Amino acid sequence: MRLDRRQFIKQAAISSAFATAGALFPGISFGGWSSLAQNSGMISWQKSPCRFCGTGCGVLVGVSDGRAVAVKGDPNCSVNKGLCCMKGYHSVQALYGKDRLTKAMVRKNGSLVEVPIQEALDLIAQKLQETKDKHGKDSVAMYGSGQWTIPDGYVASKLFKGCLGTNNVEANARLCMASAVTGFMTSFGLDEPMGCYEDIDHANVFVTWGNNMAEMHPVLFSRMLAQRKRKVDVKIIDFATRYTRTSQAADKTIIFKPQTDLAVANAICYEIIRNDWVNSNFVNEHVSFHKGKTNIGYGTEDHFVFNDKAEPMSFDDFKVFLEDYTPEKVEKLSGVPAKDIKYLASLYGDPSVKVTSFWCMGMNQHTRGTWINNLVYNIHLLVGKISTPGNSPFSLTGQPSACGTVREVGTLTHKLPHGVVMNEQDREMAADIWDVPVENIDPKPSYHTVEMFRALDRGDIKFIWIQVTNPMVTMPNLIRYRDGALKDDRFVVVSDVYPTPTTDVADVILPAAMWIEQEGMYGNSERRTQHFAQIVDPPGEAMSDTWQIIEVARRLGFEKQFPWDESDYIEKIWEEYRRFHAGPKHEMAPYSVLTQRSGVQWPFVNGKETRWRFNPKYDPACTNGKEYDFYGKKDNRAWIWARPYEPAAESPDSEYNFWLNTGRVLEHWHTGSMTRRVPVLHNAVPSSYVELHPEDAAELGVVNGERVKIISRRGEITMPAQINGRGVPVRGMVFVPFFDESYLINEVTLDAFCPISKQPDYKKCAVRLEKA
Amino acid sequence: MNCQQRKSLSAVCAALLGCAVLLLISKNVRGESLVPDNFDNQGGKIFAAQQTTPPANLEADSGGRTLARFYSLRQYPGSPPQIPHEVDLSFSGTETDCLSCHVKGGYSTEFAAYAPVTPHPENTLCYQCHAPIETEALFVETQWKSIQPPRLGQSFLSSSPPPVPHSLQLRENCVACHTGPGAVVEIRVSHASRGDCRQCHATVVQSAPLSEFERK
Amino acid sequence: MPIFSYLAMPREGAREDLCTELSNLEYCQIIPAENKEIVVLVTDTPDEDIERSLQLKLKNLTSLQSLSLAFGYDEQD
Repeated sequence: MRLDRRQFIKQAAISSAFATAGALFPGISFGGWSSLAQNSGMISWQKSPCRFCGTGCGVLVGVSDGRAVAVKGDPNCSVNKGLCCMKGYHSVQALYGKDRLTKAMVRKNGSLVEVPIQEALDLIAQKLQETKDKHGKDSVAMYGSGQWTIPDGYVASKLFKGCLGTNNVEANARLCMASAVTGFMTSFGLDEPMGCYEDIDHANVFVTWGNNMAEMHPVLFSRMLAQRKRKVDVKIIDFATRYTRTSQAADKTIIFKPQTDLAVANAICYEIIRNDWVNSNFVNEHVSFHKGKTNIGYGTEDHFVFNDKAEPMSFDDFKVFLEDYTPEKVEKLSGVPAKDIKYLASLYGDPSVKVTSFWCMGMNQHTRGTWINNLVYNIHLLVGKISTPGNSPFSLTGQPSACGTVREVGTLTHKLPHGVVMNEQDREMAADIWDVPVENIDPKPSYHTVEMFRALDRGDIKFIWIQVTNPMVTMPNLIRYRDGALKDDRFVVVSDVYPTPTTDVADVILPAAMWIEQEGMYGNSERRTQHFAQIVDPPGEAMSDTWQIIEVARRLGFEKQFPWDESDYIEKIWEEYRRFHAGPKHEMAPYSVLTQRSGVQWPFVNGKETRWRFNPKYDPACTNGKEYDFYGKKDNRAWIWARPYEPAAESPDSEYNFWLNTGRVLEHWHTGSMTRRVPVLHNAVPSSYVELHPEDAAELGVVNGERVKIISRRGEITMPAQINGRGVPVRGMVFVPFFDESYLINEVTLDAFCPISKQPDYKKCAVRLEKA
Repeated sequence: MNCQQRKSLSAVCAALLGCAVLLLISKNVRGESLVPDNFDNQGGKIFAAQQTTPPANLEADSGGRTLARFYSLRQYPGSPPQIPHEVDLSFSGTETDCLSCHVKGGYSTEFAAYAPVTPHPENTLCYQCHAPIETEALFVETQWKSIQPPRLGQSFLSSSPPPVPHSLQLRENCVACHTGPGAVVEIRVSHASRGDCRQCHATVVQSAPLSEFERK
Repeated sequence: MPIFSYLAMPREGAREDLCTELSNLEYCQIIPAENKEIVVLVTDTPDEDIERSLQLKLKNLTSLQSLSLAFGYDEQD
């Protein structure tokens, strides 16, 4: 921080008063002020992406005497232009919780005891090798996260898929982004948004699809508010299942019954066609029509298998398919008035209006998540509002590197850094870059996340290494998976920064370096890769997740594949990884560029970032000479899919008569293991609660703060009621934030998932309520 | 300016401002919207105020009000302030009177100052809580002691936005008191055009300090 | 443009009063100790005259027991 001279002198005056007071009155404390005064007062600032959500704000971390002491928004970062949210501003405090894990621990005779970290790494390597020898390569697994840095995920994939030969690599992004991926793959053949955040500065209409952006993507929401303030005729339409801060700010809120977004999206398409708002040139040139299987199940049973099959259809077939979705029919199903459906259609259909649709967990955590992603793309494709500034179907992410690490590095069972394990050429490329025999890479995907934890419960998996995530809070139908992890001959390794319900089930805990205590890269929602240097030292024996994996890999005899030196391993790993993405469709920036800039968008071709893909004005990969080139699909077209409405896996009935919806609050990020250790955030929302509609609360006879028992077919939980608090659910629905490990709401939720993406639905299951 | 002139002038001001107020209110109402207005500390008011207040009124500064003056009109932090200026004996304290100046703010030639903006214009019976000052003299000396007002700038880090240090009841609309030329200089924000105050400023409404998070 | 910092000690039981009185004075910033009856006072005045009148005001505070100087600075230009 550049203190001006006067502020600097004042700081000196305060410091010297503290010093005098300290000499006269030993033990005197001035709260937070004294820790600031003890350092020299000189702060240096270094760039980093924020640790928390997938927005990928640029922050500047202030460092003084080796400690992070301050944060400000990075004005050079185009994501947030110098503004953060309260989580970002206090993010560095998450490094300094007093129960930070600094030593390795090993469970001996039932209790965890501290050991030197090298001893713990020896034990991990030994157990991994033993398990693999005794039970086969698919009895060991790695479960990581969208908070893994890109090098973390890369070395995990290289060790497990390349060296050990198992596809048992998954990441928690399966729980939050998988439907977005399969949506992109089925509609466009390539993952990740075509647009970027700059769309916000061009759009006239924003539609948030089940997406409370005011709380969950507040920085982007503020950009929308600024756009509305700056221009006339900018509208924000909130399409939601409960009233939130986004509803407070929106020009119009349209409430739909859970799961019926599928029907409403089809009805919008029906109206667009009926009113002749179709952009025929665009559709004739750039779109093809397909249908897939229907009645596809919910995956609640073990060993569930589903493979979709695309069949081509004509535009006329598609029109016939839509006849079931007239606004009047859909009104009955969805509770959305036909006139509101027509209004939405008119916004998308008006050629003078630029529309950006945003969505995140509401559409992705959905047993038909892939379908609803397809359906929103259908709307944009019918009217040709895509791949141009302001016209953007935009799938947001929730973790800082869900895109960078999980989707791009491919830390999912079927993925490789380039392509999929099923494809021979992709396996050959990986074997070549990884320097392993191609036979090492198994062509068959193994377990997706839910099935991986089922396999752990069944005993098919006996060794699991969990890094940077907290599945013992986040797995749906949690009781089964916690009981499974605790079974006798299961060996669970957890790398984390704080004790959590997941470290509670661990046999070995490795203390991890967090965020800016290591060098690394994240990748945000808009294809932006963001490098951060190591800014402060990790505490105690804490070690980066990348280096933990390297240490274990070397103990298993893979020195050749993991040869790097601690001084420059991140650079070396990045340059190796970059080879997978060579070419104009996905070229990544070189290390030297990443270290200089506040994030770089890929494809990065000839020194230029790509803002809008599939549009030759911006995207050098377009080669067909037309106005657009959807080069991800073999027919060079974007695919419109006929996807019907199908009901949720479990809907309220006479016995379990309420919907349970789970989610987040602005103050806390995911399971709260970091944000709850930030005083201002904890003070603002110290514990979880269940939101009820005021009339439901009155019928139940509870007032604010009284305890309510929520009971499902899986489990039950008792927690305080909140009425007219942060949000208001509609009648017949309750909402619970999941950040609080004292109230494990996932003991109540259902592990049904989208059969295509395998992503569970945390937004819909049936519960009943009792006054506790 | 004699008394008579002053009254007529203020009547004209009131009439003009009154029109503006009606416009403002009609623009705020979202015709058919079913969004409840009484949840999350009525935060909808912040968004509405931010959207409808002209940029000049958000950004302008007069430096006319100070925190010392602000607290001198209150018996304790959060108490309804007394009315610091003369009011007509016939004044009824209804919408067309107080609110003609105190909804939107703006410069008053009568007082040579910018009018502070009320955060709760939906309450129109101003006299219910705000007392005029007829005399400074006390009936009997009081032994009343107030608490210390919240310290300014209670940021947790030198660079972080301070949390909201006061209860939000009747003060839900940040834009009213913390922006514009009528705002108290010490608590006026320099970034009033940003849309969502609660993006950065946590609403910590508990009065007692909470213990830090501890695993049980 | 003088800047001074002091340790201010309140009369017995008058810590809160002292904090209120000091923070109501212009040009004054206070940092009360959490666990002792001590308040750090920093004054930052634009010129000598205002500094003198502030010092006079400080002397007249009834809640103040004593004021000891910790740091002083005055730009002579």
